[in-house]
Amino acid sequence: MKKKLSSSMLIIYTALVLLAIIWILPIAASLLAAFKTPADFGSHKFYQFPTSFGLIGNLRDIFEVYRLHDHFLSSMYYSMVATFLAIIFSSMAAYSLIRLKPRFSFLLFIIIYSGTIFPFQMYLIPLYKTFNNLGLYNTRLGMILVYTALVIPFSLFVYRGFFTTMPRSIEEAAIIDGCSSTGIYLKICMPQAFAPTAVIALFQMTWIWNDLLFGMILSKSVAIRPIMVAMATMAGIGGGSIPRQMTGVLFTSIPTVILFISLQKYFIAGNSTVSSLK
Amino acid sequence: MNERKSKILISYLFVLPALLFVVVFLLIPMIQNVYYSFFAWNGLSKPIFIGLKNFQKCFVDPNFVRSFMNTIIWVVFTLLVPVSFALLVAVFLKEIKGGSFFKGVFFIPLTISFVSTGVIWINMFSTKGVLNTIITAVTRNPDTVSWLTQVPLNTIAMLIAWTWQQMGVYMVLFLMGLTTIPQDPIEAAVIDGANKFQIFKAVTFPMLQPITTVVITQAIVNSFKTFDLIYVITHGGPYRSSETMAVTMYRETFSMFNMGYGAAISLVLSAIIIIISGGYVKSQLKQDLLHY
Repeated sequence: MKKKLSSSMLIIYTALVLLAIIWILPIAASLLAAFKTPADFGSHKFYQFPTSFGLIGNLRDIFEVYRLHDHFLSSMYYSMVATFLAIIFSSMAAYSLIRLKPRFSFLLFIIIYSGTIFPFQMYLIPLYKTFNNLGLYNTRLGMILVYTALVIPFSLFVYRGFFTTMPRSIEEAAIIDGCSSTGIYLKICMPQAFAPTAVIALFQMTWIWNDLLFGMILSKSVAIRPIMVAMATMAGIGGGSIPRQMTGVLFTSIPTVILFISLQKYFIAGNSTVSSLK
Repeated sequence: MNERKSKILISYLFVLPALLFVVVFLLIPMIQNVYYSFFAWNGLSKPIFIGLKNFQKCFVDPNFVRSFMNTIIWVVFTLLVPVSFALLVAVFLKEIKGGSFFKGVFFIPLTISFVSTGVIWINMFSTKGVLNTIITAVTRNPDTVSWLTQVPLNTIAMLIAWTWQQMGVYMVLFLMGLTTIPQDPIEAAVIDGANKFQIFKAVTFPMLQPITTVVITQAIVNSFKTFDLIYVITHGGPYRSSETMAVTMYRETFSMFNMGYGAAISLVLSAIIIIISGGYVKSQLKQDLLHY
């Protein structure tokens, strides 16, 4: 009995180890390439270690040729500002829909939530045209507005789920003490909502940081274009050297990887409420 | 009385900003998009009303038909490979101790964007890339495979990259589902002398059904939406051979300026996605209605 158990364990471990090697291989190959000079990369096999330290030179190249640091700052700005705005607006809306219960609150929820159902292709053409007409095309304001709008429905969904399960006792005590609705939202509900806020910040900042489609369609200049558009351009068919591209991957993945590591415990805690709607 | 009125006012004011953002930037554009789909229009000249011709074109346009078939290949492959792998890995990880290392490994791609995933896999598939180096070393044949320029191979190559990216998402979901399964029926089955495979078939898998539905719905919808990965790795080429519907919509609209046709394709895509995810969304909303 004991022997049989260990043999099935052996199979499981072998399968997992093999799969893990396949999963690590692309990362390892990319990291090695990022540290190689283009000459090194051309003359050596992918698994050989770099003979000279190429990362700094590659970084300088992608900064000088592709201005990747400019795009980096733009995307940083978009993901932080738009997520911040979405957190404020969606938590206010969720608080109102759950606690203040205006008339038609379910209908209002459905209207906002419907923003998660349709694929983004439904918005592209009209947004492109309207942004051109209104002078929002290729502006920071335009990017912030559209990212905020795209992020609100899902954030509202998460906050709404959280506020429905939050015990009311503290709020009731505050109402008796004469606290206003705004006061309850600011002083009682939001401080308790740290976990959902962390989950929303993680998901939505990552989403905005990783967006390609809207950045590509609503912007064109280096100062405005988000980072993934610059990366995609850099990788354009046949163009660009692999060490540069891998350095680009490394550089642009830093924020999302840090975000995931630092907010991991909230991500796992919040996962059951968040499901996978996006 | 006045206090009650101001409370009602506040309740609406709190919803207003979120509502405005969604209506102005998502819902109105969506309606405009439906309207555009009835016109022949290149973005500059005056749009000409052509009724349902854009939709009819979908049936006869060889580019669209191929792109639709490619999308179906993406859906089927996603269900067969990343989803099945994810289920297997999740079940395995439940069996062993200290699975957090493996969990971490399969989770890594989730922290990286589709664009970066694409770029990473260009390094894997390029002519002198990682895979060709390995193949040459193993077979001792110096001929290299051109993964990204031959017709079935380019889609297969991208599906491998897709599996690498997507497996972790589904694994996390299955693991979540497995933790909610009660242990009693499994213990009962062990006492009855069932082996692991029998337990999985008769107890675990049926009890996982709610999460399996979520994963399958997600997997199908995600396949229909694929854009970034294909755009970065092959641009849908060569000669539009590896396009899927989302890529075709982008190409027709923003490279060929067939705005009306692009709008029609986006409507077809949306219709399919809504039909597939509709049941799932409806059950979620029904649960929601119970709160009211």
